[in-house]
Amino acid sequence: MRCTTAGKQLQLYSDGQLPLDAVRSLELHLAGCASCREELRMLEMVARDLDAPALIVEPENLHAQIMQRIAQVAEMQPAQKSFSPWRPSLVELLAAVLLATVATLGSILQQPTLRALLPIANGHDSLSLAFMRLVHMLTSMDSSTLALLLWISGTLLGVCITLACAGTEMRAQWFKAMMDRLPVR
Amino acid sequence: MELDDQQLVLACKQGNSDAFSLLVQRYQRRIFNLVYRMVQNYDEASEITQDAFLAAWQGLPAFRGDARFATWLYRIAYNCALRQLESRKRDTALHAALQAEAEHAYDVDDSQAITDKTLDAHERQEMVQEYLAHLPSKYRSVLILRHHLEMSYEEMAEILKMPVGTIKTHLFRARNLLKERLQGLYRDVSTETRG
Repeated sequence: MRCTTAGKQLQLYSDGQLPLDAVRSLELHLAGCASCREELRMLEMVARDLDAPALIVEPENLHAQIMQRIAQVAEMQPAQKSFSPWRPSLVELLAAVLLATVATLGSILQQPTLRALLPIANGHDSLSLAFMRLVHMLTSMDSSTLALLLWISGTLLGVCITLACAGTEMRAQWFKAMMDRLPVR
Repeated sequence: MELDDQQLVLACKQGNSDAFSLLVQRYQRRIFNLVYRMVQNYDEASEITQDAFLAAWQGLPAFRGDARFATWLYRIAYNCALRQLESRKRDTALHAALQAEAEHAYDVDDSQAITDKTLDAHERQEMVQEYLAHLPSKYRSVLILRHHLEMSYEEMAEILKMPVGTIKTHLFRARNLLKERLQGLYRDVSTETRG
């Protein structure tokens, strides 16, 4: 065995992680090589000095502080537990209003008589024209555009499901990684 | 009869905070020591230990028990400590640069100093711990887990989320780095013991 090979195996040897056959050939090499023996002795000294410190005593009130914080979190949790139709959050309320508006407008725009009553979407000004074009595009979309939209929404849905299943820790890491890459504070 | 971790975790999942209190009591010292060795600041270590246990409590419903509870807890604490080190690095980039320069100067002065005098075992251990504190965090963490918390390669791989091969490489480089820095000191001890 060469000294370079022995040098790579010395740490595994002192950690007791070297396979038996490798141990034998290393010990054979060590018996005849003073510099590798010296190397091993130094590594063992480093390991011994690293092993030395006794555990540091934690602050006396650490346990109490931890349990206090947990109690605080536990108190807050039921309040933000789940969606309630009677007391929705602001975001939930806005989402509901938006969905209701889109649904109402969609059904109104399907009826020419009702549409004529609206100040917009009559086809007389550029805003109305753009609005009508958008509605038309959404209602008469070709299959490739539809496929693209489905693919995008499917991907987003996949990401959401993965994040939901990944657990809090992974979600926090992913969110942190995303925030680190965004050019915002 | 003392309940094992698995039974306590099960009780915690049913909302029993007394069971979690027992787990905190069981692991707080080792978690605190892991964090303290990483961040080298007593007060910060206390804060981070609290954060880690809080994160564990909140993450318990998602804990499936694939790894041991202790391994999972160490991983959370390690990540919390690492996050602190990263934010500290970001917040004080300039300070870190200045400190690195100072450390370099300190290394040179110190390695000179230790060849000049003979240290007893206690002083030598203190010096090794001092050097350990100045190693890059990826090397420091493997040494802490291996030597201070006496973990196996496999446990370390689970906590640090690295293959066992990488753990071996990091350990190899970390110890070599320490050995190189302390070579003068160990040579003195060697000649003394022979003489």
